[in-house]
Amino acid sequence: MKQSRASLMLTAAVSAFIFAGSAFAQTLTIGVRGGPESLDPHFSALGTHAEAAKHIFDTLVWSGDNLQLEPGLAESWKSLDATTWEFRLRRGVKFHDGSDFTAEDVKFSIERVPLVSGPTTTTIYVRRVKEVVIVDPHTLHIRTDGPAATLPYDFVRLFIVSAKAAKDFSTKETSAAGFNSGKAAVGTGPYKLVSWEPKGDLVLDRHDAYWRGKSHWSRVVRKEMANDSSRLAALKAGQVDLINYVSAADWVALKRDPKIATFVGDSVYVMNLQLDQREPTPKVYDLQGNALAKNPLRDPRVREAFDLAIDRQAMVEVVLEGLGKPARQLMPEGFFGSSTRIAWPKHDARRARQLLAEAGYPNGFKIDLHCTNDRLPGDGAICQGLGQMFSQVGIQTNVNAISRTVYFPAQARKEYSVFMNGWGTLTGEASYTLGSLAHSMDKEVNMGAFNRIEYKNPDVDKAMQEGARTLDDTKRRALFEKAMELTVADRAYIPVVVLQTVWAGAKDKVIIAPRTDEDTLAYFVKPAK
Amino acid sequence: MLGFVIGRCLQALVVMLVMSLVVFTGVYAIGNPLDILIPPEAPQDIREATIARFGLDRPIWEQYLYFLLNVLQGDFGRSFIYNMPVLTLILSRLPATLELALAAVLGATLIGVPLGIYAGYRPTSVAARLIMGLSILGFSVPTFWVGLILILAFAVSLGWLPAGGRGPTVLLFGVPWSFTSLEGLSHLLLPALNLSLFKLAMMIRLARAGTREIILTDTVKFARAAGISEATILRRHVLKLISIPIVTVFGLEFGSTLAFAVVTETIFSWPGLGKLIIDSITSLDRPVMVAYLILIAALFVTINLLVDISYAALDPRLRGGRGA
Amino acid sequence: MSGFMEQLRAFWVEFRESGIAVAALFVIALILVLALLAPVIAPQDPYDLTGLSLRDARRPPGHVGSAGYMHLLGTDAQGRDLFSAILYGLRISIQMGLAAGLAALLLGASVGLAAAYFGGRFETFAMRIVDLQLSFPAILLALILVALLGQGKAQLIAALVAAQYAYFARTAYGAAKAERRKDYIEAAVATPLSDKRILFRHLLPNCMPPLIVVATVQIANSIALEATLSFLGLGLPVTEPSLGMLISNGFQYMMSGRYWISVYPGVALIILIVAINLVGDQIRDQFNPRLRR
Repeated sequence: MKQSRASLMLTAAVSAFIFAGSAFAQTLTIGVRGGPESLDPHFSALGTHAEAAKHIFDTLVWSGDNLQLEPGLAESWKSLDATTWEFRLRRGVKFHDGSDFTAEDVKFSIERVPLVSGPTTTTIYVRRVKEVVIVDPHTLHIRTDGPAATLPYDFVRLFIVSAKAAKDFSTKETSAAGFNSGKAAVGTGPYKLVSWEPKGDLVLDRHDAYWRGKSHWSRVVRKEMANDSSRLAALKAGQVDLINYVSAADWVALKRDPKIATFVGDSVYVMNLQLDQREPTPKVYDLQGNALAKNPLRDPRVREAFDLAIDRQAMVEVVLEGLGKPARQLMPEGFFGSSTRIAWPKHDARRARQLLAEAGYPNGFKIDLHCTNDRLPGDGAICQGLGQMFSQVGIQTNVNAISRTVYFPAQARKEYSVFMNGWGTLTGEASYTLGSLAHSMDKEVNMGAFNRIEYKNPDVDKAMQEGARTLDDTKRRALFEKAMELTVADRAYIPVVVLQTVWAGAKDKVIIAPRTDEDTLAYFVKPAK
Repeated sequence: MLGFVIGRCLQALVVMLVMSLVVFTGVYAIGNPLDILIPPEAPQDIREATIARFGLDRPIWEQYLYFLLNVLQGDFGRSFIYNMPVLTLILSRLPATLELALAAVLGATLIGVPLGIYAGYRPTSVAARLIMGLSILGFSVPTFWVGLILILAFAVSLGWLPAGGRGPTVLLFGVPWSFTSLEGLSHLLLPALNLSLFKLAMMIRLARAGTREIILTDTVKFARAAGISEATILRRHVLKLISIPIVTVFGLEFGSTLAFAVVTETIFSWPGLGKLIIDSITSLDRPVMVAYLILIAALFVTINLLVDISYAALDPRLRGGRGA
Repeated sequence: MSGFMEQLRAFWVEFRESGIAVAALFVIALILVLALLAPVIAPQDPYDLTGLSLRDARRPPGHVGSAGYMHLLGTDAQGRDLFSAILYGLRISIQMGLAAGLAALLLGASVGLAAAYFGGRFETFAMRIVDLQLSFPAILLALILVALLGQGKAQLIAALVAAQYAYFARTAYGAAKAERRKDYIEAAVATPLSDKRILFRHLLPNCMPPLIVVATVQIANSIALEATLSFLGLGLPVTEPSLGMLISNGFQYMMSGRYWISVYPGVALIILIVAINLVGDQIRDQFNPRLRR
């Protein structure tokens, strides 16, 4: 506000994509569903935590709108040999306190992570790092514990804190106090911390020396409003300018509101149906409710019947009210390692029934279907929809849409036979998803941690292990694509729908470009007009 | 007397110990919080390392003893979610809930008592019937439903009041309050109204019942016969006599309002204790759940203890045991 | 026995004087009949997944669905006929309210009576726990128990009973204690009459009136509490929705104008609770000797 027009125009020239010519810097108020858990960026790996941290801190590697890798605090990186990556750092970057950003800060940050990480552990981002070697103030060599092809992907949520400011606040006991008070919360990001209250408001002021160019918004207030209806009401009442996670139901109505603009983007989440491959399996019964002689889910014909029973079109149009897309693989289309050769699944109830009969279940059987009902938009409704569809081909389904606090521990204990939950490919590449879900559980190679159905296909295992060692992008992509095709063909994991996310904002004030990781980043919110 | 007090204190201690054990094992039984907290991409070795780092791989009795030892030193642990000492977290949420509960109970009393007195004074009038109808509604309609309707009407359709959240706060005696500003008040109004409806119904009923009984007593009949004006009767006799049970109930209700705020706080996103406990249940923030439950239990055990001791101080016959 | 019938008659005569209470009683009877006959009246079994169709989802009241009949109150997000779902939901709500209310009555009255009758250490101990629980808010207790026990009908009933039995225990204890001091019980205790006989023939009948009053209130409370827990996401499974669950599921559609999914179940719930409370109120007034002229 106290800015000369000339300086405004200068910044506009530097960062033309942010400034749309508005004459006054303003306050942007955002109503978000979830906020940070602490201001220590290394405390939690939760999405909302990282989202808030991105306002204050930067990462070496930036993850773009569609999760493509872009330079961040590192201008470039390359692998020198099988176990060494070189990162060249951006010059002239300033911390909020005016000090220079150097390799020292990166080394400090990487080494700090294991000391302060909480239960939603951020150590996953540095797990491959064996040693950080400072070559000069703007060059780093990172030695890994083996060939680590995906190291740059790991670094998209590795936040760089100031070694000087955070030095005394790097133990479990001191970190929260130091960062929440603002003393240690010194980053290179687009905004400086003003104040924060857990589950309350995060207030930020512009960092004028930001290396991407200073933000249009002189002040940003992120209000945490967990309740979807409250958030929407706040937008309609003009209390906030922008909200995230508009529900499908509200989106339908908002589209008719002349004062509100909505923005729809694909998310990273695919709803997957998972069919237990163990023998015996706990929650599948004959029609009288007694145990079956063998697990029908191990029969490929039965699995195909499940797939054919699902009317994905109805799921998208009716259950999600248009806010989703049918899915044919375990990640959204276009992600690194997704395949274009997989056929789109069809809905064919008659064929499903026929397949069940061929498999020896002419009258079907009974299952308990488990899923979350409070984790992702529409999860409970999709689950009930699946229940209808399975029942209609003869698989009598008892739907248990339950809280994630009950679901995930029980799922981890492998108590379920047929279950569905969302899986987000947060890094945008297949090793994240297939390595955890499709690879058989194997501690040796550290894969299959989330393979709760004991699915095992030796060819998938082989392709994934080879992929992890392959530094060549083209070859690795081909390996992942093959693994994806094999996994989907086996139908132990049946993709149902890809979810979409909606933002809504005051039409005369904001425009945003949806990000696939669903982050709502104030810096990239453009003023309307 | 001293023996009695010591005995009672020991009893309270035992109750607390049992409560803590029940709470701890109960919360333990819900599930391993790390199953939902550890990021999905974490490989097995990191999962195990994290579980070990939080001591969750130890047998439950060991975890309990460890917890107990820490509590004795005043440390309830750190929240899994917020990475701050649980005690600090709970204390930081207390003012918001206190403010809301106080506003609700005060409002209910100030409106409910006059209405109740009137309804008791003229029990057959149309207004009295209306008031009683209102109180039945206040009793019957579930709080969450009223909350939804209030939001829909005043925040969404009319747009007069904010739909949720707490307004800006001002430090007063070192505690943040929001009622000092107009915006703060506008945030407070709907949730306070929502929370007060049940109390309002109760205050109306208490005042009405008291008034009806007193009006029928001989004192009032004699006063009337003596030609004392009705207004004076209401003020001198009725209000004075019913104020004792009302003050008692006010005190008791204030306590339960603190807890009942769970529903209202959830609907209006009010950042108080109730919201905290619901959030910690849905995110399996075990340290917060355990500490909250134990502190609440301690609060009620202490109140009971104080009541017992003060009764005993007033009435020596009770010292032998509670049963008369 | 005729004495009892006589009392009941007198009670009814007085009850009849209150037009509102009689109307409320009629409403309760009507709801009970509707709920009992739900499988006959309802055009659809809302729990049978094969009978639902997603294509009928979220239709406004009056829409004629794919099955060929009109959805009087519209349909919900799963294509459930709301009229049917409300009838079945009433069934569940009443079932839960009655089961929890009666179980709490049994447990509470037993504890209260036993404490008053036997006295001594048991009395001290039992009433101490009851008092502690009374000061502890019911909703919080139920909330915690449901969180601990998990979701399901039995768990929910257990939570409701645990949250409410103390009221019955206090009431029974108070009434019985007053009765216990009377000469005839003292005399009965001195005779070789069995404990059981004294308890059930003499103490219990005298505790009944206040217990009935508490029971009506508590049944209404159980229903409201169950709805609240369901609303908070800690209640019954979604596939067999109680009224609270229907309201909760429908609320997300309120803002977009599809009010019927949430409003009609809410109206049904409120009518039920208000009617029970109105009847309870009248009974309370009739049992209160201090209000008799």
